[in-house]
Amino acid sequence: MRMLLVWDLPTRVFHWLLVLCVATALITGFLAPEWWKGVHAVAGYGTVLLLVFRLIWGVFGGEYSRIASFVYSPRRTLEHLRGLLMLRPPHYMGHNPSGAAMIFALMAVLIALTTTGLIELGGEEKQGPLAGIVGYALGNGLKPVHRALAIVLIAMVTLHILGVAVEIAITRAPLIRAMITGWKPLPAGEPVPEPRSARPRAAAVALALVALPAAVVLGELSRLPPTGIPTLPANDLYAEECGACHAPFHPSLLPRSSWAGVMAGLSDHFGQDASLPHDEVQRIGAYLQTYAAEAWDTEAARRFAVIAADEPLRITATPYWRKKHARLDAAVFSRPAIGTRSNCSACHQDAATGRFDDQAIHIPGDKAHASQTVD
Amino acid sequence: MQVRRSIDLRVILPAAGAAVLLMMGTALALADPARDAILAALATQAKAADPAFTAFSAARGEAFWNAEHSGGNPDLRSCTSCHTKDPTAEGKTTVGKAIAPMAVSKSQQRFTDEAKMTKWFDRNCNNVLGRVCTPTEEGDIITYLSGK
Repeated sequence: MRMLLVWDLPTRVFHWLLVLCVATALITGFLAPEWWKGVHAVAGYGTVLLLVFRLIWGVFGGEYSRIASFVYSPRRTLEHLRGLLMLRPPHYMGHNPSGAAMIFALMAVLIALTTTGLIELGGEEKQGPLAGIVGYALGNGLKPVHRALAIVLIAMVTLHILGVAVEIAITRAPLIRAMITGWKPLPAGEPVPEPRSARPRAAAVALALVALPAAVVLGELSRLPPTGIPTLPANDLYAEECGACHAPFHPSLLPRSSWAGVMAGLSDHFGQDASLPHDEVQRIGAYLQTYAAEAWDTEAARRFAVIAADEPLRITATPYWRKKHARLDAAVFSRPAIGTRSNCSACHQDAATGRFDDQAIHIPGDKAHASQTVD
Repeated sequence: MQVRRSIDLRVILPAAGAAVLLMMGTALALADPARDAILAALATQAKAADPAFTAFSAARGEAFWNAEHSGGNPDLRSCTSCHTKDPTAEGKTTVGKAIAPMAVSKSQQRFTDEAKMTKWFDRNCNNVLGRVCTPTEEGDIITYLSGK
């Protein structure tokens, strides 16, 4: 049987790297604990790079890699689907119309996923190139969209694999081996095609023309300070007085009303007398009012601004705190290196900055590192 | 014989010197004019409150330090709840933050800043006993911890 090189090397490498990135993103997104968010983001960046490459290779690649070679009319797509149903699909050397439809749909979903992910990363986590221009509300608002798209992606990947399986079953074509070696058999009776060859130099020039400006723009964007993170001046009085008994909490972790309540009730501070001279109460109170949750656009500030009705002064009583720590066994907090629920910095290495990045979580004495999922 | 004696002296003299320096150092650390003034003022108040008062007692201070009190926070019944039975050791707040030893030999600045001292006596006596401490109680504790 005559063999034909259908999938050129860049397309094959692209396909399997995309499998790797998408699998990594799905696993770290749905199953892995919070501190895998960095890996999740890298998988997203990888996906973006692969998509950019593939679109360019779709213009300058070999015959069957070119997008123009697998744009079919709806009529031909329906024809192919009908053929599939009757178990006699018409033969295509490269992508058939059903497969091509799936490719365009996958591309669209992946572009939407990486875009929403990048906005979420910038707005909610204050990380990545968009941290300087996207606010928390937008980033957090896109969270359900990103999640829904990921579920759609899982369904599409399943359909894609099923489609390949069906085609293999009907046509006996070695499709998986073809995506590894590139070679596909030419069925008897089919005319020998004359595929156009790839133009790697033109592709490299196009890639450079796209990548260089993009790198400059992203680099400049990355230099912008994240939105909604004011510069917190050092406050020796706060550090000295409040830090005498506990790590001084970042002022963004409670809203103004709660800090006012804390400062008004120091004589009975969670069961203990923490009284301060009037002028020191005034000075610390003013500092906390200025830099309370309302002054910040970080995830921690926006979340902890929602306080518990029954315990409005206690950070560890807020609904968000409870939700995020619900899966942790009580014994975790009793570990010698942690001791108490209010010891934020025992696990959140950046607690003093108020950022509480997912990647900065390290639970002391937790070798398995498996109790929470990314949210 | 001569040789052996000279060797002995070479060992003994520096050791004796070090011992003298250490004692002087300890004496210097313990005798702080600010702390003496605080103790003198407390003695005046103690005398005013109780004419029978003669002097502060480290033994009374030690007993008070280790005693189980009541009237305050039920989780904080004693000085030792946070500061431990050994004043030369580090203590721990209820949320786990380390407290430098209370013994003056370990923390030389203890009881030399009147505002700071008053703030903590007022808070912690309230936490443990539900009231302020008397000048006698405060003076006894300072005397006990100054000798530790």
